[in-house]
Order: sequence, then structure tokens, then C-alpha cells
Amino acid sequence: MYDIAASHAIGLIAGLLMLPMALALVRFSAAHRGLPVTTQVAVVLMAISGAIHLGLVSHHLVTDPITSVLFFFNGLAFIGLAVLVRRRWWRFESSALIVLTVLAYLVYVVAGLEGPDQVGLTTKLIELTALGMILVPARQERRKRDRACYWALLAAGLPMLSVLSGTSLWITDLAHPSARHVHAGAVLQSTNAVPTHAQQDAATLLYEDTVAALEPYQDWHNAWAAGYRPGGPDNLPSTHWMNQAYVKAGYVMDPKHPQGLVYANSHHGPVLLGAMFQMPRLDEFGPDPGGPLTAWHQHENICFTPFGLEFSLMTPFAICPIGAIDISAPPMLHVWVVDNPTGPFAVDIDAKLVAAIDRS
Amino acid sequence: MPHETSRPEAAFVLLVLQATFWAMAGLSALPFVLGGEVFMLALGAVSIALAGGTAWLGIGVVRRRRWARRLTVILEWVTLVASVLLLASPVGANKGPVALLVNLALPLAVILLLRGRRMRAVFGITPKAAR
Repeated sequence: MYDIAASHAIGLIAGLLMLPMALALVRFSAAHRGLPVTTQVAVVLMAISGAIHLGLVSHHLVTDPITSVLFFFNGLAFIGLAVLVRRRWWRFESSALIVLTVLAYLVYVVAGLEGPDQVGLTTKLIELTALGMILVPARQERRKRDRACYWALLAAGLPMLSVLSGTSLWITDLAHPSARHVHAGAVLQSTNAVPTHAQQDAATLLYEDTVAALEPYQDWHNAWAAGYRPGGPDNLPSTHWMNQAYVKAGYVMDPKHPQGLVYANSHHGPVLLGAMFQMPRLDEFGPDPGGPLTAWHQHENICFTPFGLEFSLMTPFAICPIGAIDISAPPMLHVWVVDNPTGPFAVDIDAKLVAAIDRS
Repeated sequence: MPHETSRPEAAFVLLVLQATFWAMAGLSALPFVLGGEVFMLALGAVSIALAGGTAWLGIGVVRRRRWARRLTVILEWVTLVASVLLLASPVGANKGPVALLVNLALPLAVILLLRGRRMRAVFGITPKAAR
């Protein structure tokens, strides 16, 4: 959802190319020049949306000709209405086209026919803004009788359609993450699909070395003495303890110097669950001796707040709650020293296992 | 006729969208409260309150209220500067087209729509020389 699908980038380029042409249209065309600013903005946005749709026609022509045809007519309709702005039913026709286009996109995404990406979201954002500009009654309009109706549509309909779009896309994205997205916000390193014997041996060696090196940290006092400090709230099932000296030193997958330790917050104190290796920089995945067994992952688009060191997720409209900022964490690899059902190098530790340890 | 402009209405639409996005962000924080992140409750509440305040400012802008224009411009400048700082900082903030449109283009557009001598006249602000 936060990436641009390579095949969709052409749509963005088409939209950007349309921008100066659409601006020229509202600036120099006699039919557009005297329109209210709101209508002029709507015309520009509809022309851009039309161009994005037309830009996507060629790619979908091979894989999905029906969608391609729909994109073509959708694009033409947007550009046509942007040009024919003096039509009597222009406001109704444009609003209906935008609402139907947004709803059709949501149906496509929810049905799994299309993956939500930045091009799709950008287009919906442009269309929602255009819809608002079409609906809002301008002061210099001659027809005054429908003003209350349009205000009501704008005040209720636009937020409702925006929330419906955002939540539908978000839920779909969370429920059906792509192959490289293990869970919300975690992007896996690309690897081969099946580990070779050499990779299995290398993963086993890394695991044994790490377990041996972590032995002293079974007692959290030793971790504290070594410079590890807990981060985030202590009322969660587990807590990451980070060693900032090791983070700054830039050790790469060194079993003797893991950047983080993970402890379960049990009734009788912290219980070691595993270690976390972290790379110094974003988008630089670490060495991967075990292939798919030891794939690193990077957390992206996390909303982090210094208040209580807490996290949430960024919305599809790229907003975090006020007081939190959007961050990404450099690639990391966990090594679980407890018997994690999803594997010793899994991105997440089994929640039931942690809960059982917490109760101990 | 200085009052015959729909720029405040255009700003209103953008403010409604901005308020909706902040409300969504506020609501999205609440599930994390159930997971034990208690501060997220305050952040969610502040975001929803800001969304309400933004919608209220939008109504004031449409009604050509001077205070609404002033507060809106201040709010959008704060949003814009905070977004620029976040995007410029090395924390890995999202720089996709949606983030750029919502966090940079939207507040900038509201500021541009509400600025200028003509818009000050629309909101009944007289130039210093005329006082």
C-alpha cells in the first residue's frame, strides 16, 4: 500500500504531464476562465485523474483487458467532463462519475483484483478532492436553490466516502499482505524460496552461536550491566532491550554483540526470549547465510511517539496521530532462544508462548 | 466585488479532507490502547479534537470570519513546517505521493488560497494604510 507498483508508475507520469495542460485549459479556455475557483480546481483534478487512468491502459491490456477497457472509458469520461464543464448536468455527472469510480476501485481491491498501492491511493485522493470542489456551492453561482442539499452532501458524504475508502484499503492491506509483508509494517528481505543444505547448515551454526553467546543474558542483570535498556511500556507481554553502544558500533550479525534482546515480562521478572540483530541504515539488509530461513525484515511506516515510547500504524492517507511521527526502523533479524513454533528466526514470536511465559 | 470569490470554499473542502484524515488517525490509535499503549489514548483524543477544530475553522472560513482565516493559516503553517522537518530528518518517514500531497501540498494549497490582499479584503481586513 505504501509502495508504487512498477507497472503503475506510468500512470503517475501521465498525471503529472496532464497538470500543465489542465492548468492551461482553465487559464486560457473561454469556457473555463470565468468559472469559480472551486470548479477550476475540480477540472484540473479530473483531468489529472483521467490522464492517470489512460496511462494505465497499456499495462492492463495484456493481463486484464476488461480493466483496461474500463480504464480507457473512465479516463475519457474524466477528461471529457473536464472539458465540457458548461454542460447543464455537469455537476451531477461529474459527482456520479467520481463516486462510481471510487466505489469500483474499492470493489476491485476488496475482491483482490487489484492491490492497493500509492498510485491508486493518490488517484482516489485526487478524486475525493475533486468531488468536494464540485459539490461545494460557490458564491458566484446563479442557481441558489440546491445550496443546502450540496452543503449537506459535502459535510456528510465527502468524509464518509473518504473514511470508507481509507478503511477498506487498510483492512484489505492488513488482511492480505503481499508476499514480502509478513505483518503490518514489516517488509521481508528478498531471498530464494527454498533453503539449500548449505543455507540450512549456516542457519543452524548462526543459531547455535547466538544461543551460546546469549547464555549470560538469561539473567537480565547481566544484560543491564552490558548496557541493554528496556524500551517502551513494561505492561506489554514482551519488551525489546536495546544496547545503544552496539547500535552505534555497527556490529553486523555478531552473536556476541546483538543490538537488542527481547524479554518476556513475566511475574517473576524478565525472561529472555531471544536476540535482535539490527543493521545501521535503512534499506540495507544484512548478510543472509540461511537464505529464506534467516531473512531480515524492515519495519516501515510506523507511528512512533516519545510519550511512553509507543507505536501505532500510519493510515493509508499517510497521517499519524498528533504527537506521533512516521518512522522506519533499519532491517533486523530475530533469533529466538525459546522454542518458538513459527521458527527460531521468525519475524514474530508466538503470542501464546509469550503469554504462557508471562504467567509463569 | 471582493466577496465574489470561491477561494474560501475551496479552502473549506481541503480543511474537511484534512479533518477527516486527522480523525482517522485518531481513531486508528485506539486499538493500540487495548494492547496496553495507554498514551495512544491521549494522542487519539488530541487528533480527534484537532479534526473537530479544523472542521470548525473550515466553517468559519466559509462564513468569512477573520479569526478563522488567521487561525487556519497558522495551523497550516505549523503543519507544513512540521511535515518539512519530518521529511528532511533521517527517520525514514514515508515520502510517497500520498504523503507529499496530504502533508505538504494540502496545507500549502490552503495557505495559498487564503493569502493575498484580495483575500484579506474578503475577510474584512483593511490594509494598514487605509486605517
